[in-house]
Amino acid sequence: MASPTLPQTRKLTIIAQDPSIKVRSKRGQAQKILKAEVEIPNELFAPGPTGYRVQVFDYDASTDTLYKPFEHNLRDEPQSGRLAPDPIRDASDAQLLSDPRLHALNAYAIVMSTLARFEFALGRRISWGFYSHQIRVAPHAFADANAFYSERDQALLFGYFPAPDGKMVFSCLSHDVVAHETTHALVDGLREHFTDPSSPEQAAFHEGFADVVALLSVFSLTNVVDALLDLNSQGSNRIASSKLGAASLRDSMLLGLAEQMGTEMTGVRGHALRRSVNLKPSPDYIKQKAFLAPHRRGEIFVAAMMQAFIEVWVQRLKGMGLLTEKYLDRQRVVEEGAGAANLLLTMSIRALDYTPPVHLEFCDFLSAMLTADRELRPDRESKYGYRDILLKNFKAYGMMPATKNKEPEEGVWKQLRRTLVYNQTHFESMQRDPDEVFRFIWENREALELYQDAYSHVISVRPCLRVAPDGFTLRETVVEFIQTLELKASQLKALKISVPKGMPDKQDVRLYGGNTLIFDEYGRLKYNIHNRLDNATRQSRRVKFLWEYGFFDPSEAGVRRFSSMHRQRALNFVSRRSEEW
Amino acid sequence: MANSSKPTSLTLRAYNVGFGDCFLLSFHYKQGRDRIILIDFGNKHAPDGYKKSLMVDIAKDIKNVCDTDSDGRLDAVVATHRHQDHISGFTTNEKKNGSGDIIASCKPRVVVQPWTEHPKAKPGDETAPGLTFSGKAFAQALDHMNLFAETALAEATRRKGFPMMGATEIVNVADNNTKNKSAVDNLYNMTKSHYYVYYNSKSGLEKALPGVGIRVLGPPTIKQSEGKVKAERDEDKDQFWALQSGAGRFCAQQNSLFRRAHKYREIPPHARWFVNHLRLIRSQELLGLVHVMDGYMNNTSIILLFTVGKTKLLFPGDAQIENWSYALGQPGVTELLKDVSLYKVGHHGSTNATPRKALWDKFKNKGPAKKLKTVISTMPDVYPAQKTAKKGTEVPRIKLVNALKANSEFHSTNNLKSPELCEKLEITF
Repeated sequence: MASPTLPQTRKLTIIAQDPSIKVRSKRGQAQKILKAEVEIPNELFAPGPTGYRVQVFDYDASTDTLYKPFEHNLRDEPQSGRLAPDPIRDASDAQLLSDPRLHALNAYAIVMSTLARFEFALGRRISWGFYSHQIRVAPHAFADANAFYSERDQALLFGYFPAPDGKMVFSCLSHDVVAHETTHALVDGLREHFTDPSSPEQAAFHEGFADVVALLSVFSLTNVVDALLDLNSQGSNRIASSKLGAASLRDSMLLGLAEQMGTEMTGVRGHALRRSVNLKPSPDYIKQKAFLAPHRRGEIFVAAMMQAFIEVWVQRLKGMGLLTEKYLDRQRVVEEGAGAANLLLTMSIRALDYTPPVHLEFCDFLSAMLTADRELRPDRESKYGYRDILLKNFKAYGMMPATKNKEPEEGVWKQLRRTLVYNQTHFESMQRDPDEVFRFIWENREALELYQDAYSHVISVRPCLRVAPDGFTLRETVVEFIQTLELKASQLKALKISVPKGMPDKQDVRLYGGNTLIFDEYGRLKYNIHNRLDNATRQSRRVKFLWEYGFFDPSEAGVRRFSSMHRQRALNFVSRRSEEW
Repeated sequence: MANSSKPTSLTLRAYNVGFGDCFLLSFHYKQGRDRIILIDFGNKHAPDGYKKSLMVDIAKDIKNVCDTDSDGRLDAVVATHRHQDHISGFTTNEKKNGSGDIIASCKPRVVVQPWTEHPKAKPGDETAPGLTFSGKAFAQALDHMNLFAETALAEATRRKGFPMMGATEIVNVADNNTKNKSAVDNLYNMTKSHYYVYYNSKSGLEKALPGVGIRVLGPPTIKQSEGKVKAERDEDKDQFWALQSGAGRFCAQQNSLFRRAHKYREIPPHARWFVNHLRLIRSQELLGLVHVMDGYMNNTSIILLFTVGKTKLLFPGDAQIENWSYALGQPGVTELLKDVSLYKVGHHGSTNATPRKALWDKFKNKGPAKKLKTVISTMPDVYPAQKTAKKGTEVPRIKLVNALKANSEFHSTNNLKSPELCEKLEITF
């Protein structure tokens, strides 16, 4: 148990991006692996490290080896009141690469810091998507150019492999890879139906969102921004403002990072960042067949988010009047860049609570992001118009908001204006009890536009407390509610859902619908964000996609779908299941 | 006497090699000797009840056919792709009496292989004629796949905790993908005339088969399949296999990733649950990888269409959907294949080698009248329904076989019993 004399958080050093990003601490000195500090919840972790949410087992299945962990002398901490030494901070580059215990610590710290980011943004504890409090992490799981989250195994698994030059590449040492996989696990905990076979966009979202969180996590580290700026300013304390336009920053930061990232890691992550950055704004990608495969479609989402990041950064510099000067203080530029990344990261994560629980498409996420931010920052003009920047960039890539609502702001979910029955339920219970919430839903089923003949189920009730940058707090309760209907293909027509060509009448089809209900601090329903079970347009599109891609085949039930997705991404796989027997 | 005009009939010998392919096509002409071509000669699993010398016996039979009907000449050998179950019969031995030695003694005039087997399509060679850089990189990736297959085979054989079913399937698939140097060398040395073919290229069989129209429908080259798009994706794919083979090689050579690190001698109780899971994950991942690789290799397979008058004979080797999709997307090809008379069922009847909508549904001759002939070389016990890790991927696919039986005159090597070496199909033009 943590001593009250110890701080609530602990700072741990990690490898800032991956071992290929090196910097000179002083002129003339040899380059060293760039490190950074992250702040994580403090705990007296056991050997592994094993903490209250993460359990590292360094087992290598390819060589059948289980490595022994550090025996941290943490038990002295409560007595001394000081935190134990920070092993990665004090390690040489050679030690960093050759000591598996440091790799385990690096992975632990990044998983915990990603978890902490989500918990901060959402204002509550977040569960994993499986029945355990701790996720298992295997930093050297196998000799394979892959890393993935496996719900079935309750684990994050990181491979290793020799690069063409013979040097060993460890995916557990890549900040973006570890953050990406952790994000898959966290999103799975928050929205369990986002991994269901649905539209190509739902699978693309999981992958694209994990990329965005990973990249913004890396950019939120001032050391990384500082190192990448060096590409333009060569160590000077001042930077010419002419180099801080959107195009210059895009080239130096995004392309710079894409080039600097260990090229060998493309075997794990593909050229995601490079491809996304090179996608010039166009509304056409979203309609092209080439972007139907989830791993490619996700690139459009990443492109819009990363363009928005650069624009927010420039806007912050402009908004402070900094770009009117010929030269800017380097430290200020770095802080604003990391700040822009942090801000967008928090906005993105917060948006998850405002998404429908099933069949997510990019348009839903955009509306969710705009609404979530508006709830905390109602003033549109404040803070440099972040929401306008996001809206503009998504539109530029052909992604329009899910709602046509223009008031009070374009793209924001419409607030529920209907009269609801509250007097059958109790305020206290409504904040935690699924049965009580279901009673509320049942009493108001018509107002909430439910499909009455479906199996209906409240899957989560989550009270949360969100804090805006200005200290403003927002209390909400987020409820996820889903509906399921099993029917035969021949019965689809009754719901005006098109039957795909070639689908036999007796084919079993399962339809999902779902609502996310956002209650305010007084227990009044603010938003009813839903994808209706009987939305014929969306369901027709979904059923057609799933039929053509063979998801009605029972063998397609997802086993380690993220492993498969990453493999498909590395190999640019295109499914042609409709031609199979 | 030189034969002229078109052949009058064909004898197709479908040899029972077990799980593999071996087809001997004897084209009969009004005058002169037969023209004989051998399409593939390999197996991974011999059929039950046959002698161990099966492959040698088949080679002798092929030689005997050549001696009897063609003045001892084998006009051509087509090796559709480099999988063991299609080329292992070309393996030679020191005594010079292996099955491959016997085929070589028939002195085939020409050997036809896919473009990916071009001897200059090797790592670092920038000068191979007719091959783009990305084409060479792909050929290099195939070599990496061979290497990866060897290491996957080694890992599945030695690792603890791999489930038996998974390990057996990994061994089966990986072993089929290892390089058979002896067979490859023999194919190269048995003649001086080699053709490395691709979609719409010359087949190299034109001289050997007068009066027979021959169209190469696959495999496409990288340039063809990717159009003008610079193949960054191909670089990714090629690099992927290089990395996988590197990882596999590392494991084969090293016992531990960190030699100086402290390790447990025995798995402690608190780690056992996860270690068991991770072993299972590894076996399943390895199985997934070898299947992906297997598909890549199959997709280098030659697809040949022979036409004599109105009779069309389609031999697609092991081409899977990815290979087929290029040809079927080209103008006129679907039309050309509508009236196929004989179809050699692709890839031993696997789920994804007979494109269901784009090919099978378009065959006009199929149907209860059974005007279409189909021939399959397969062996159901190798990848049976209950043993494959992924459901619906048994070979031959039961759904496909049922459709073939119902809608065509169906011939399967699996119906042969020892000592029958082959089934003979007579086709009159």
